[in-house]
Amino acid sequence: MSLRHARVLAAALGLAVVPGLQAADPPRAWLERMSESLATRNYDGLFTHTAGNQSEVMRILHRVEDGRSVERLVSLDGSGREIVRTPEEVHAYLPDRRVVLVEPRKEDGSLLKAVPAPGPELELLYELEARPGHRILGNDVRIVDVRPRDQYRYGYRLWLAEDTAMPLRSAVLDAEGRVIEQIQFTRLEMPAHIPASAVEPSVDATGYQWIRTGRRGNVRVASVAGWRVRQAPPGFRLVASRFQALPGVPVPVPHLIFSDGLASVSVFIEPGPASGPIPREHATLGSANAYTTTIQGHVVTAVGEVPQNTVRDIASSVVPESGAPALDAGR
Amino acid sequence: MTDQIKEQISALLDGELPQNELNLLVRRLERDPALRLAFGRYALVGEVLRAPGGALASAGFAERVSVAVAAGESAATSAAAYAPSTRRRRATPLVGAAVAAGALFAAVLLLVPEQAEQLQPARIAEPPAPAAVAADIEASGAASPTPARSQRMAAYLVAHGEYSTPIARRNVWTGVLANDPGITRVSYEFSEAR
Repeated sequence: MSLRHARVLAAALGLAVVPGLQAADPPRAWLERMSESLATRNYDGLFTHTAGNQSEVMRILHRVEDGRSVERLVSLDGSGREIVRTPEEVHAYLPDRRVVLVEPRKEDGSLLKAVPAPGPELELLYELEARPGHRILGNDVRIVDVRPRDQYRYGYRLWLAEDTAMPLRSAVLDAEGRVIEQIQFTRLEMPAHIPASAVEPSVDATGYQWIRTGRRGNVRVASVAGWRVRQAPPGFRLVASRFQALPGVPVPVPHLIFSDGLASVSVFIEPGPASGPIPREHATLGSANAYTTTIQGHVVTAVGEVPQNTVRDIASSVVPESGAPALDAGR
Repeated sequence: MTDQIKEQISALLDGELPQNELNLLVRRLERDPALRLAFGRYALVGEVLRAPGGALASAGFAERVSVAVAAGESAATSAAAYAPSTRRRRATPLVGAAVAAGALFAAVLLLVPEQAEQLQPARIAEPPAPAAVAADIEASGAASPTPARSQRMAAYLVAHGEYSTPIARRNVWTGVLANDPGITRVSYEFSEAR
């Protein structure tokens, strides 16, 4: 069992205490501890999210009690949308659409293995550096730079509190160092206790359409339904595959997950429309990119917090293995 | 700009302007910089509304665009020459004629069919007066795809977030909350024939 998994297990058992941080710790240790703090601490913060010319204020609440972690992310001045993540399900409340997306989840060992973890090989793909920074919100800060060594992944600059490794500010950067997206906390409290009511959604979803988008089941590392990626960008490997239900698609579709240890990319393979190929398309949301193309009658979409060329290359490289079952949606 | 001109521009963008009026309007575009800017903004709205998947404008979009168009008209008199245009996605033949006359360039940058990939990103910081208008348009130029597309994109991102690092998940899900999933954000340049 890796140190990370041991820590997460300890956290699940209510034993989580972030070990003391030393300024001389290597950058990768700071990344591990940041992920650990985000997953295991109580916190209540306000932050601004800036991408392009858009900026919104968000609130995040993370409550851990008896090993049970619940997180609530709320847009305070934008869409009014909320996402509440419990150990059992993720609910995305979209009041502007009068829709709630429900993603069942199963926080077991297989899921943990699928979540990227900054292992030693990370430094083959990213250049890591940690250095002291100026104080933020009264905290001494350690700046961690994660610079990609090629154009297939984004970089990060993280301003971590020295004592907790909580990210007080973060920026996603492209290969040339340009900022794509920033998150900056204007308030961050880490109380010993957060009431359960604080992580309840504020949206009254009465009358909303509830769409159950996921499907319970074990995450499998083996390829799903005979689909594979012929050639993933350097460093990306298949870490999990499963079936995913999606709104508007009558059958669960293969969902392949690739990771380089820090960034991840999901690939969804849907039955194609009867009307023929759809246009290839890019979509961008902050630091996330999506690319959709048609391959052998199927609509393949790759989504991830990676550059456009990465999702495009992965989606375009999807091929059915011989004997793969057809995803006949009856259309 | 009179209501009649506005209607003519709208009709032109819809491909419904009679030929005799089209000729007059194109001549007017050639000699009237303010009208060219206004036309560009109307075309931008058209681009957004024609975005793949059938875009729907967000609440208040029309009002904000009207304000921006009005601002653009007042700013046009001081407009400097802009960067040369390249090509434009989904231009109708009639719009194409206007483009050939040097009217506009409008590039959908962030949700684009692949054939538009070569379009240059916006440089909205220059020149000063029109840039302010352009920024206003960009901020208000976000439009949503169809509800089905939007929900699908949200579903992708919510499902994907489960397999991201905690900080990447926060970034991805913040994007779901901050933007309409699949949102069409447009970046564009206006150019004038030299």
